[in-house]
Amino acid sequence: MLTFAEELVLLLHDEAGAPRPIRQDAMDCALAGAALMDLAFAGRIDTDLRTLTVTDASATGHPALDRVLAKLATRAPALDTRTWIGELCMDEAGAIHEAVLSGLVARERLARQAKGPWGLGGLRYPSMDDKAVRGINSRIRQTLASDDIPEPREVALISLLDACDLLGHIIPAREIDQRRARIEQLHRMDLIGREVANAIATAERSTLLAIRVRSARRRRLMLRLSTLGALGVVATLLAPRVALPDQFGPSLLKLLWFDGLWQQWSGYLLLGVSGAGILAALLVKARPVARRGGLHWWRLGHVGFGLCCVLLLFLHTGFRLGTNFNAALMLFYSTALLLGALAGASTYGAAQLRRLGINPKVPKALTRLHRVTLYPLPALLVIHILVVYLY
Amino acid sequence: MARSVLAWVCGVAATLGATALATSWMLVGGDRRPLLIGATTDAHHQIELACETCHDAPPFANTAAATQALNATCRDCHEAALRASDDSHAPRLFRSPRMASYLQAIDARLCTSCHIEHRPETTRASAVTVAADFCAACHSEGDQDVRQARPSHATATLDNCTTAGCHNYHDNRALYEDFLVRHGTAPWLAATPVHALGAASRAPQPPQAVTVASAHPAPAAALSDPEPLREWRGSGHATAGVGCIACHAPSLASDAALGAVETHWIAAPDTAACRDCHQEQATTFAEGRHGMRRHPLVAPARDPDQGLAALGLDGRLPPSVLAWFADPPRPLRMTVAEARLPMREDAAHRSLDCGTCHAPHAVDARHAAADGCAACHDDAHSRAYFDSPHHALWRAELVGDAPPGTGVSCATCHMAKVERRGEVFTSHNQSETLRPNEKMIRPVCLDCHGIAFAIDALADVTLVARNFQGKPSVHVESVDWALRRAKGDGN
Repeated sequence: MLTFAEELVLLLHDEAGAPRPIRQDAMDCALAGAALMDLAFAGRIDTDLRTLTVTDASATGHPALDRVLAKLATRAPALDTRTWIGELCMDEAGAIHEAVLSGLVARERLARQAKGPWGLGGLRYPSMDDKAVRGINSRIRQTLASDDIPEPREVALISLLDACDLLGHIIPAREIDQRRARIEQLHRMDLIGREVANAIATAERSTLLAIRVRSARRRRLMLRLSTLGALGVVATLLAPRVALPDQFGPSLLKLLWFDGLWQQWSGYLLLGVSGAGILAALLVKARPVARRGGLHWWRLGHVGFGLCCVLLLFLHTGFRLGTNFNAALMLFYSTALLLGALAGASTYGAAQLRRLGINPKVPKALTRLHRVTLYPLPALLVIHILVVYLY
Repeated sequence: MARSVLAWVCGVAATLGATALATSWMLVGGDRRPLLIGATTDAHHQIELACETCHDAPPFANTAAATQALNATCRDCHEAALRASDDSHAPRLFRSPRMASYLQAIDARLCTSCHIEHRPETTRASAVTVAADFCAACHSEGDQDVRQARPSHATATLDNCTTAGCHNYHDNRALYEDFLVRHGTAPWLAATPVHALGAASRAPQPPQAVTVASAHPAPAAALSDPEPLREWRGSGHATAGVGCIACHAPSLASDAALGAVETHWIAAPDTAACRDCHQEQATTFAEGRHGMRRHPLVAPARDPDQGLAALGLDGRLPPSVLAWFADPPRPLRMTVAEARLPMREDAAHRSLDCGTCHAPHAVDARHAAADGCAACHDDAHSRAYFDSPHHALWRAELVGDAPPGTGVSCATCHMAKVERRGEVFTSHNQSETLRPNEKMIRPVCLDCHGIAFAIDALADVTLVARNFQGKPSVHVESVDWALRRAKGDGN
C-alpha cells in the first residue's frame, strides 16, 4: 500500500515523468503534511491544533517517515502542528521528496531517467504503474462525486491536496467548484489525521500562504547568504593578495595587515565570531532551544556568523594565505567556511540540485565534511597565537 | 550519543596533544621550521633556525620589552659595522628631545622600524621593509625639508634618495658633500691605477725557516698520496714554514713532547685549525654571509634537558620521545645549495669553510680571489667578470706583466683589504661592501677611479651586471651639484 507522500508524488508527476508545474513551496508544504498524516495513520503521532505528540517512536520502515519521526521524537512537545509543518517544509521536504522518489523507483512504480548526458539537465520519473495513478485519481473523484461516508485516507488526501492548492492539478477547476460543498464537508469529518490536514486546511488561507511564502523566502535568503559566503571563501583562496600602498605614511591597509595591535583586534574578533557561529550551530541541535522554537533564527545566525567570518578573514589577512602552520590554519579555516557555505547552499537549494540531477546526499556529506574540517582548528589557532606572542 | 561524546573526547585530546607538542617545540626544543611565519631575508636565512639569536626576550614579554630585546640583538651584531661606517642616522642622534616629532613619524632609534624579518612581501634590498620614500618621514617639512633647503632638490619625489646613488641611510662615507667636493674633479681613471692595500698584501714574503714542530714528519699513511705534499711545497704555507702538523696535529705543534704524531693526527682539519694563525680572517669570515653560522653571537641549539627539567620531565622520557625535543642539526657550514643567488649546479654539494675557496694544501690566495668564486657563483655579474677589463688586469698581474695591486679580482672588490696595526689582511666578510654598493667606493674604487665615475658605474645596474665592461650609461648628478654649490652656484 502506498503512503500519502507516495500517492502525492505519483499524482504530481505527469505521464512523461516530469514534475507538474507546481510552486515549490506548495509542493514542500504538501509533502510535509503528507509525512505527518502518514505518521498519524501509522499510529506514531497524535495531533491537535496546539500540540503534536509522538505516541510511538518505533520505525515505520519508510526511510522518509522514519527520518521525520526521529526529528519529531526529539522535539515534538515543543511545537504545534502548524509550526511543525513550517519546519518540515523548510528542512525536510527535499529529503522526503527524494526518499519517496527513491522508494518508488526501487519498487518499480517509477523509472529514473536522466534528461541530458552525465545526469545533467535534470531527471524525470516516468510512471511504470499507470494503474496506480489512475486508481488514486479515481478514488478522489469518486469520493468527491459521492455523498457516502468516505474512507478516512481519501478524506485526508483530499483535504491535504485542497489545503495546498494542489487539487486543481489533478481534477478540473470547474469540477472542484461544483463539489466545493462536499470538500468542505470532508474537511469537517472527525477522522484520523484530520488535524494534520486541518492544520493546513482550516488555517486561514492567508496564514497558510504566509507559512509557504515565509518558508520559501527563508530558503531563498539562506541560499543567497550561503552562496555569497562560498564566493567569498573562493575569493579568499584564489584572489591575489591586496597590495599595500608603496608610500610612506599612515595607511589603513598597512595597519590592518601589518600592525600588531590591529592584527590582534581583527584576529580575536574573528575568533569570537567563529565561536559564536559554532555556538549557534550547537544551539540548533540543543533541545532547550528547539523547545522554544525559532530554529530558523539560530540557523540564520550560524550562516550570518559564517559570512562575517569571511569578511573578518579578509580584514585579518587581505587574501594572504601565510606560510607553514599559518598556511595550514588558513587552509583548514577557509575549507571549513567553504564547506559550510556549500552545505548551506546545497541544503537550501535542494530543489535546484534535484533539477540538476545531483546526488541528494550531497548536502549531508558536505555538512559532515564541514564538521570534520573544524577539528584541527583549535590546535592550529592556539599554535598561531602562541607563535605571535612567543616570537 | 556515545559516538558524539567519543568524537568530542577525541577532538579535545587531539587538540591538547597537538598544542602541547607545538608549544614544547617553541619552549623546550624541536624543529621549529613549520612555525616560521614567513621567509627570512637573504641577510639572515642562514641562521633562521637559531631563533634565539634575535628572539631572546623572555616568553610572553610585553611588546615594549620584546621590541627592545629584538633591537638589542640587532645592535649586538651590527653596531660595530655601523659605528665604523660613521652611521648618518645613529640612534644616539635621535635621543635629543628636539627629535621627538620626527620619532612620531618613524622611530629611528629602533632597527625594527625599517627592518622587520619574515616579511618577504615588503622586503626590499638590504632587508628594508618600509616604503621607498621613507626619507619623506623627516625630510619633507620644517628645517629638514630638502626640497626647500636645496634648490637642486626642489622637485625631488623622495622615493629614490637611497637608490639613485646619491644617499644611503647609514653609510655615507663616500657620498657626503665635502667628500664629493674634495674628490669630484678626479679623472675617471688614475694615472697609475694601483690598489694600494692589495699591492701591500700581495707583496712577496721572505721565506721563513721551517720550525722543528712544523717540520715533524707526518705519519707515513698520510703521505701515501704524494699530491698534497707536492701542492704544499709550492704554497705560501711552505714559504712561511708551516708544515703538516701545524694544521693536522695542532695540539702536537704546541707540545714539546713530540713523538706520538699518529695519536694527534687530524685527517681533515676544520676552520679551527686555520683560526689559530688567521684570526682576523676567521673572525671576518664569520661576519659575512659565507660563514655567518660560525658567528659567536648565533644562538646555539637548545638543550632539551634544560627545558624538560623545568617541566619536571628530565630523565623520564624514553629516547624515542626525547628525540622530538631535539633541535634539528645546524651544520656550521652553509652549503652552496642553500644559497639564494644563482649558483653552479655542480657545486650544490659544496659546503663553505676555509678549504672551499683555498685548496687545503696549495692554499693559493690568487686562486681563491677569482677562480674560487667562479667555482660556485653563476650569476651574470660573476660570469661577465672573466671578459671584463678588471679580469684582464688581474691576469696580467698574475703572470707578472703588471705590478702587484694593478689587478682586480673578485676579492679586490668584495673582500676589502684592511690595514690594522701596520699589517694588511683580507676581510673575509663579503657582505661588508656589498650593499649598498656605494660602500665599496672608498676602500676599493677610489684607488683607481674618480668618484664621479665610480658613483655612476655603481648606479648603472646593467653595467654592474656586465661587470663594468664599458662606460656608465647613468649619470648621478650629486657630484655636479656638490661642486656647483661649493662654487656658490646655489645648488
